Amino acid sequence: MTKFRGITRRTVTRSAIAGIALAAAPRWPRPAVAADVIKIGMPLALTGPLGSVGQQLKRGGELWAKTQNASGGLIGRQIQLLIEDTGGNPADAVRKAQEMVERDGCNIFTGITLSSEALAVVPKLEEWKAIFISSDNGDGRLTAESFVPNFFRSNISAPMGARAVSLFLRESEWQNVYAIGMDYAWGRNSVQVFESEMKRANKNFIGSVFSPIGTKDFSTYITKIRQSGAEAVYITMAGDDYNAFLAQAAQYRLPEKVQLLSEVVDLTVPRAVGDAALGLISSMRYCFRLDNPKNKEFVALWQKEYDTVPDNNEGEQWQALKMLAAGIEKAGSTETGSLRSALETTAIDDIKGHVGMRKCDHQAVQNGYMVKLAKGEGFSYPVPQIIATYPGEKTTPACNKMTFED
Amino acid sequence: MSLFAFLTTQSLNALSQAALLFFLGVGLTLIFGIMRIVNFAHGTLYMLGAFVGYSVARSTGSFWPALLLAPLAVGVVGVLFELVILRRLYRREASAFLMVTFGLALVLGEIVRLTWGPEALQVEPPQAFAGIVFLAGEPFPTYRLFLVAAGIIIAVAIWQLLDRTRLGLIIRAASQNPEMVSALGIDVNLVRSMVFGIGCSLAGIGGVLAAPLVTASVGMAARMIIDAFVIVIIGGMGSFLGSLIAALLIAFTQVFGEYYLPDFALAFMYLLMLLVLVIRPGGLLGKEA
Repeated sequence: MTKFRGITRRTVTRSAIAGIALAAAPRWPRPAVAADVIKIGMPLALTGPLGSVGQQLKRGGELWAKTQNASGGLIGRQIQLLIEDTGGNPADAVRKAQEMVERDGCNIFTGITLSSEALAVVPKLEEWKAIFISSDNGDGRLTAESFVPNFFRSNISAPMGARAVSLFLRESEWQNVYAIGMDYAWGRNSVQVFESEMKRANKNFIGSVFSPIGTKDFSTYITKIRQSGAEAVYITMAGDDYNAFLAQAAQYRLPEKVQLLSEVVDLTVPRAVGDAALGLISSMRYCFRLDNPKNKEFVALWQKEYDTVPDNNEGEQWQALKMLAAGIEKAGSTETGSLRSALETTAIDDIKGHVGMRKCDHQAVQNGYMVKLAKGEGFSYPVPQIIATYPGEKTTPACNKMTFED
Repeated sequence: MSLFAFLTTQSLNALSQAALLFFLGVGLTLIFGIMRIVNFAHGTLYMLGAFVGYSVARSTGSFWPALLLAPLAVGVVGVLFELVILRRLYRREASAFLMVTFGLALVLGEIVRLTWGPEALQVEPPQAFAGIVFLAGEPFPTYRLFLVAAGIIIAVAIWQLLDRTRLGLIIRAASQNPEMVSALGIDVNLVRSMVFGIGCSLAGIGGVLAAPLVTASVGMAARMIIDAFVIVIIGGMGSFLGSLIAALLIAFTQVFGEYYLPDFALAFMYLLMLLVLVIRPGGLLGKEA
């Protein structure tokens, strides 16, 4: 200690106490925020098994911000996206979001990728005084038992996707159905809703199985589906797991025996597995084939920017930010309280037609779509064709519910 | 499905999975056994194999050149890495290798992402093995049978190389006493480069062979590296035969476990590892017990 003679035990104690006092202070003084910039936090799962979903949300967000900024920004202010990678880990999602609040003074979030991440973030929103508008989270609980007032969902949820599939199945000849899901919040929730739907539709729900996130070999699961004797199987998977499942299912000729139906499918899936995705029937949250002027304009803009058509979550992220922008314009500010009140009654006419936020549980009511993957002109991979559209009143559960009555 | 058909297809499923696990684990254990290096970049090299395989298969229109060139390319990357970086570190302690191979994993992972993009890519199985055969009335992909055969061929080849050739003799000798081998006039550095290259190209073979099942994706590396370490730990660090047995054990436990107790699917591999470590702390065929 000779070298540091000036430092006594007392000064160490004193500075330690000061440090603790600072750390324990209710809130760090927020850094001065340049009043002319609107910061939107996107803690995304850019890597990990669902990295492809996070990448879509990023592209959707970036094109929106670029377009909006080029046309003068929003309420006269420029937009800045804060993008960070969470790896799909709920603890990291909370940490990165907290950093954005404390370091950058951010009070608006979107694009949090996994439902498990979103479920970890929502309890903190009140403390952070932040709004989170979901563009992707499926878990029904977010607008039901886990609902918090600062949460909004612009996207189609898992119960809504499951509902569209089940409305489609009701009209089909398939009687015996089985389900397989990724073993985490979203997969479990979606299969649970689907099961209750099938029971009310008087279909024979044979059973379900869940595969851990990151499963590489699906042979046993394929055997189980085959043995179940089901005519149709409902799938809630995404990312690498979904690709591996479809590629292997086709190698076992499963689709020849069982119709594959899924809650949601991204274009990244047929691009990764090719013909193995042919004939797949799925609900889709956004499809580039939607026939309306706003969507055609969006697809053209997207093709100019990225030289490809916009994918499922890219459209959803675009819609969520359009919804947010409409809310901010209505509120005339980004202050959390007034933005929340404004968003509660915001409605837009955009790429998916009329979409209106519902005040009771902050779920956006919108049409449900069913697609079938088939060969399409100008595409090297199977592309979705819209085969059924259901109105929002039919596909959205009652307020704060995630199952349906009829 | 009859019991016989069930057992046949499930066993073949397990064998094909074991083959993929074996390709993954054997390179890692070879490198550790002979060089005492824990290669954290192994999963990333596996992924590199899948992506190079994708590009070769796409440009030539056939899987076979990919199966040849991808392991070669990954092996070359391994040899270059050994020559340029690892060689300077042999006098350092083991943690230096951990850091530097982890660094390689990060850098290679980013290079792959920048080169091939973040999306998963399709690799089709070779034409000759794209079909199915009926086993006891159940369809079974011929590609999985091919994987089983490839696993056997490569296992025998490595065993013959290590046990029956002069090169194998030198490799084994260099792993036990490098100074003595060097004193006998053999270039130990060259042996190390070769071993590292062979270990890496085995990861490359694994990647390109797995690609038709799981597609080539940037998420592969992280998913595979844990499996690879579990195989090496169960089999015993550095044991070639151990990694073979471990791959078989894991695959059979996984395939039958997932069937009967699907809710514990994630736990089987780790429970097996725990069990082995309790009974034999050095792994099944490990030296340090």
